[in-house]
Amino acid sequence: MAEASPMQVRSRRRVLLATAACLLPLLLALPPSLGIGFGMGAVLVAAAAWRKPLPAPLRILLGIAAIGAVAMELPGVGRDSACAVLAAMLALKPSETFSLRDGRALLGFALFAPFATFLLDQGPTSLVLALVAVVLSLLALRRLAEDEAGLGQPSGVRWWHGSRDVLRLLALGLPLALAAFWLFPRLPAPLWGLPERAVAKPGLSDSMTPGGWQDLMNDDSPAARVQFFGAAPARGEMYWRGPVLVDFDGRTWQQPRWLERMPAAPLTGTGQSFDYEIELEPTDTRQLVALDVPVGPPEGVRFGYDRGLYVDAPLGNVTRWRMRSVQAAAFEAELPSVLRAQALALPRGYNPRTLAMGRAWRREAGTGAGSDRAIVERALAMIRRDFAYTLQVPLAGRDEVDDFLFDRRQGYCEHFSSAFAVLMRAAGIPTRVVTGYAGGYRNPIGGYWLVLNSDAHAWNEAWLEGRGWVRVDPTAAVAPERVFDTIAERRPGRIGQFDGLVPMFDAGDWLRRGWNDFVLGFNAQRQRQLLAPLGLDDLDGRALVLLFAATAGLAMAWMAWLIARGERERDPLLRAWHRLGRRYARLGKGRLPHEPAQEWADRVAADVPRGGLDLRTLSRRFSDARYAGSTDAEAACLITDLARHRP
Amino acid sequence: MRDALRRRVQALTRPRTPEALPVAFDRHRIYVLPTATGLFFALLLGTMGLGALNFNNNPALLLALLLAGAAQASLIGAHMQLSGVTVGAVSADPVAAGEPLHLKLSLGTRDARVRRGLKLRHGDAATHASFDQAGATVDLQVPTDRRGLMPVPRIELSTVQPLGLARAWAYVWPAQTLLVYPAPETQAPPLPMPAGAEGKARVARAGDDLHHLRGYRPGDAPRTVAWKASARRDSLLVREYEQHRSDQLMLDWEATQGLPYEQRIRRLARWVDDAEREGRRYALRIPGQPALPMGLGPAHRHACLRALALLPQEAAHG
Repeated sequence: MAEASPMQVRSRRRVLLATAACLLPLLLALPPSLGIGFGMGAVLVAAAAWRKPLPAPLRILLGIAAIGAVAMELPGVGRDSACAVLAAMLALKPSETFSLRDGRALLGFALFAPFATFLLDQGPTSLVLALVAVVLSLLALRRLAEDEAGLGQPSGVRWWHGSRDVLRLLALGLPLALAAFWLFPRLPAPLWGLPERAVAKPGLSDSMTPGGWQDLMNDDSPAARVQFFGAAPARGEMYWRGPVLVDFDGRTWQQPRWLERMPAAPLTGTGQSFDYEIELEPTDTRQLVALDVPVGPPEGVRFGYDRGLYVDAPLGNVTRWRMRSVQAAAFEAELPSVLRAQALALPRGYNPRTLAMGRAWRREAGTGAGSDRAIVERALAMIRRDFAYTLQVPLAGRDEVDDFLFDRRQGYCEHFSSAFAVLMRAAGIPTRVVTGYAGGYRNPIGGYWLVLNSDAHAWNEAWLEGRGWVRVDPTAAVAPERVFDTIAERRPGRIGQFDGLVPMFDAGDWLRRGWNDFVLGFNAQRQRQLLAPLGLDDLDGRALVLLFAATAGLAMAWMAWLIARGERERDPLLRAWHRLGRRYARLGKGRLPHEPAQEWADRVAADVPRGGLDLRTLSRRFSDARYAGSTDAEAACLITDLARHRP
Repeated sequence: MRDALRRRVQALTRPRTPEALPVAFDRHRIYVLPTATGLFFALLLGTMGLGALNFNNNPALLLALLLAGAAQASLIGAHMQLSGVTVGAVSADPVAAGEPLHLKLSLGTRDARVRRGLKLRHGDAATHASFDQAGATVDLQVPTDRRGLMPVPRIELSTVQPLGLARAWAYVWPAQTLLVYPAPETQAPPLPMPAGAEGKARVARAGDDLHHLRGYRPGDAPRTVAWKASARRDSLLVREYEQHRSDQLMLDWEATQGLPYEQRIRRLARWVDDAEREGRRYALRIPGQPALPMGLGPAHRHACLRALALLPQEAAHG
């Protein structure tokens, strides 16, 4: 059987190249230690098994080692560890792949690697690499098909040989693929959930340990894009509110789970409100960020007690939300005692100096109306006077807040907000830590705001009599330019002093936003609105199926037309002649296979009465044109006459 | 069971009867189905698509759809490899029954597209051809089992290009017969003595030049055995003499009296070959037709073997 026959050496190299191309994006999406390790492992295995398979015991040993490495780096079962195992198996598989059938199976499994990559990362790098991998895989498949047909490859033919054919196949399939993409009915809710990651990506979460955002603050990938309808808030007011952290254990701030199920705290706005659409990059958490303070959550989103926004399933894809936020005039003006106690709780035996200072401040300020506000102002004044902003922070000791407030006096938002909250609680003011993003960059192309992961920020909300929760940002008291990114060096796309690439960055991000809009964020809900511009609101399932069937049918018909056209006679003269022959054949006077044209004309013309041109003359002219040659004008004239002739 | 199913399908596929050449393949007679690899890929892509739809993971879905589109286009690509191919003529030089017949098919195309790795198959014999408008002649070996006119079998042309995911195939069944000579008898006695020259040959034997020694065949007279030479070898050797005056042979059907019908034909065929090899003129007399006159050379051999091949089959003979 041809299937079991060995691959030619050149074909096997093609298959390995395609496998490597499939593996690459997956390796990039894994933790660097695993990615680099498996990458090097794959190269070594391929080199060792260049000519003959590795012995089975060695293969099994390598497999166990790889799974061990995954278990060490990504403990637990999650989709990242599953993807890592897939990568390991793909890296090892070439060591036993030598027959034609094995080669094809390897290519099939290798194509799962880009698919797995998209479960971890949907960025543009992954997309481009996946496309390259697809083309290379199809090239390898084509090469294997040539192997099977016994087509030797002449030497000197490069690896891209045949890529034109492959691209042509992709182009031919594109209409069908796009029709299915836009119109195939989407699931409004998943049948089974996306497995969570074993190890979370850096990002906002339900806890914060001061000093833990080092990676996040240096991550210049986008977190959200916002389009305002109408007025946008001033830059200093752009706080994108995420998880609210209340519980403090001396080291880490935590979000109390049970508050998520409580009804949202009452809110009175000042009358100023903002309408916007926010597009969130996947975070794998269930919480959204929104402009401080959101009202009336969009469909599918719930408020927690603290007006955090929650969805049912982790956000594994780009999502878009239409939202409204207001400036708060009063946010939970009446604070229940349980919640008040929770927002004042401090762990025993931590940060004694801070606690003492907080109590001293309370004694000095008294308990009269406005004393809380005075204490807050005093703290901000102190921070403004004595503190500095830096991202270079040494490892925290036991009493982190004491170290920060009395010795180090340098830090970034995590330290400022944590210390401020502890100090205020010590002074008897209910305070909590709010995490999210601050500021944003307005892209002149498209006129939308871009929020980066490096814009991650932590600030506070202090509860003041009559006002309820009031936003206080101690970091902004020290370094507003760092918070709101108003300094030119921090512009996205800028490299050092050189900002010539900024327009390219702007255009690139605008394109990416369009891609997000058009492709990544497409879902069942958007699908229903697909024909809204044509006045067809809310497509139901049946209409969608019909539309899909019609479009797919059109795409198939196009392919079928290509077939029919491929069969068509190229020479217009011959085509006209054949058509004429078919007309006679319908009357049972067709030309016999062995009959010369002239003989047939003599035989048939004798007993067919007709008007107009004589078949015999036509036949003679046809023979002359075919075998003696004719000018274009003569040929055109003959074609017309042939077309007009009726038996 | 499987064979029965295969026969049923074969009976349904076109062409159902032999047809006159030339033949051009079009969509009415080209069949396309996924290969095992194609089914495997369909399964993979289905899994990918289902997963992507479930997670609403659009890049993954797009990837799966792109691949599915290319695979679908490759079905068409396979079809296009066959459509427009013409089989102009088929011929073969006659061979003895039992030997493979080298079927020569001239292939061409009606368009400018290049055909790559087209597989021609009949039974277990297969060959590949690549050609463009200039066309090509392909040599396909077809086994033969009996003498006579053999109808050209139905030949399958197939391709798995361009990706190996789909296989397109079509049949050509030329309404044509090819001549198969009878298989010469393997262990035949030497050529008969020339008519009416037997006595003279005996007398003249002593004076004949010893030509050469050859291996013993059943039926050789014991006195022709070269005992001394045979003793030196392990096998019996027989003296052969140049027979100057006896190069006019009559190969007569009646001289093979007593043998089974088919074996008589095979013996005569063998004698024809022997006479050709020895360069002796011969005539052939078989029942039911005038005797073929004395002659020598490829044309004469062909005429004789053709006459033998076309003798009625045994059942008809009765």
